[in-house]
Amino acid sequence: MDAVIIGLSAAGLSCLDALLKFSPQVKVTAISEEKYSPYCRCMLTHYLGRIVREEQMIIKDISACPPNVNLLFGEKVETIDLLKKSLTLSSGKKISYDKLLIATGANAVKPDYYDEKKRTFTLRYMDDARKVEQHIKDSAVVLGGGFVGIKAAYGLLERNVKVEMIVSSPYPLSLVLDEKTARFVEKDMRDAGIVIRTQDDIAEINMKKESVAVSLKSGIEVYSDVVVVGKGVKPRVDVARKSGIKIDLGIMVNEFLETSAEGVYAAGDCCETMDVARKVPWINAIWPVAVEQGYFAALNILGANTPYAGSIGMNSLKTHSFHLISGGVLKEEEGVVLYEKHFPHLKQFRKLAVRDNVPVGMAFYNCPEDAGLYINLIKKGMPLNADPVKIVNGELSIADMLRPF
Amino acid sequence: MKVVVVKPERCVGCLQCRFACSVAHSISGSPYAAPYEAVLSKPRIHIGLTKDKDAFPNKCRHCDPAPCEMACLPKAIFREPSSGMVLINPDRCINCGMCAMACPFGVVRYHVYSSNKTAAHKCDQCIARQKEGRVPACVEVCKVGALLFDDYNKVMDRATDEISSLVYLGIRSKEQEKGPYQSLTAYKHRLEELRRKQA
Ligand SMILES: Cc1cc2nc3c(=O)[nH]c(=O)nc-3n(C[C@H](O)[C@H](O)[C@H](O)COP(=O)(O)OP(=O)(O)OC[C@H]3O[C@@H](n4cnc5c(N)ncnc54)[C@H](O)[C@@H]3O)c2cc1C
Repeated sequence: MDAVIIGLSAAGLSCLDALLKFSPQVKVTAISEEKYSPYCRCMLTHYLGRIVREEQMIIKDISACPPNVNLLFGEKVETIDLLKKSLTLSSGKKISYDKLLIATGANAVKPDYYDEKKRTFTLRYMDDARKVEQHIKDSAVVLGGGFVGIKAAYGLLERNVKVEMIVSSPYPLSLVLDEKTARFVEKDMRDAGIVIRTQDDIAEINMKKESVAVSLKSGIEVYSDVVVVGKGVKPRVDVARKSGIKIDLGIMVNEFLETSAEGVYAAGDCCETMDVARKVPWINAIWPVAVEQGYFAALNILGANTPYAGSIGMNSLKTHSFHLISGGVLKEEEGVVLYEKHFPHLKQFRKLAVRDNVPVGMAFYNCPEDAGLYINLIKKGMPLNADPVKIVNGELSIADMLRPF
Repeated sequence: MKVVVVKPERCVGCLQCRFACSVAHSISGSPYAAPYEAVLSKPRIHIGLTKDKDAFPNKCRHCDPAPCEMACLPKAIFREPSSGMVLINPDRCINCGMCAMACPFGVVRYHVYSSNKTAAHKCDQCIARQKEGRVPACVEVCKVGALLFDDYNKVMDRATDEISSLVYLGIRSKEQEKGPYQSLTAYKHRLEELRRKQA
């Protein structure tokens, strides 16, 4: 069997590793558009903050791959021929497959004012980070208050860069958190020295001598060395769409992660699977989900018919002063009851959203020890065997939840 | 593959395993010197207290596939191929907290140890001691048999045998009118009780 993987990042790499683990002799070809050894994209913000060096981001030693693995770097897949079961690469080369995994990931959303000549960059690939690195001296504007924006802001702060953050919503992380939890993060960011301008957006960007002049809609003008845009991501589905594979927002897959084309699987940021908390198909564009889907895709490629139970959105945001773990959906909705408790003296906060005794969302601030358990309950859609009030009050420890009697 | 098996019902909460674990992972390896080391060695096994003040030993289960390994961004968490243990390389760890989020058992902590920065910290099943042919420190020191070190398949076999023999003894039928038990262990406890009464 010839297995082919498009994209060699979280999902692609995890699929490759799992294929080799369960079937060491399988013939695999993996094609990556990027020129580098597989690296972890989430560490780009650490790289900008000079917390890690470039070589520390490499997550796979490609020289240790067995001879039945063929890795192609710097090659883009242009088309997929579903009938002939073959791919055409940008170099014109054709590759045929028996089983195909599409793990093309996502691209950063580029707004109208995006212009590299005006030192406005997104942060998705190694090349993006290098460009930012080239121009940055001591100040930066970060646009967007999502996880990537916040991680970038904290990273830059680490190397003593003055950071100004522009957020269009009233508070950061508005897409994943409720206001109360988000305010904890916001306060901490302000205390750390990040200037946050909420409910504002960029009107125009101009170069003025050696710096970038960012005019905001509110009329304020901010000067900095670079602008880093973190306005979300868009799944990369062009190649799949052209070939006739069914696409909704992302590539549509069944529970075995197989697309509408037989023998073609999808995993990672480009594919849409069931969101356990929302109960609708959804793209949870995060690293652990991509890895998990890559693993399940490998099992199914090898014929082990293992259904993927679905994912939830979750994230961990850790800085010098706090550790926030959140997951699922925390918004107030019909049928969802929210429980929360704040312990100011401990700098702790616990919040749990429960629907019909099944937890669907959570945010634990500075209590990482018991967070994982609830994340996993949400992910598996398992009912609570305890009173949620006691859980958020911290009256029940993880021992109560795990002890079998 | 040998694993540490936890029998929570036997634990009396003496915390000796925690001390032994710290000592085993300290630089000196001595119970007298370990508390005075510059970087204090922290225990990797946790004894939780339930609301009824029952002790519950909790440690890394070395899951396969391991959620922490899947969530780890810099691939600092890896499976050691020969022993099958899930280990952390503190030099690679970037302290992002993803493993604590992924772990269903809440056993990951963040401490400064070995390398000069905060990194994820959890049980390594005393891999260094095992290489010397010794059992994990927590198991060695446990006086009440709450921590055992045994072959995974044997442990499972024994547990199923025990249950099936109890069921075979027909004690179950006497219990039929009672509601279902919350868990297998609760069922086992009740059966033990009945058996004692019968004897
Ligand atoms: C700055 C930053 C910080 C992040 N931080 C976190 C975090 O803290 N936690 C978290 O969970 N997630 C984080 N993420 C998200 C995480 O990186 C993604 O969810 C993850 O990388 C998705 O992996 P993937 O394999 O699906 O796709 P991608 O990582 O996007 O990889 C897809 C690969 O496929 C290649 N490719 C695409 N099309 C083709 C083609 N036609 N031919 C050949 N190759 C192709 C691309 O070049 C790319 O290398 C972060 C992302 C960024 C950018």
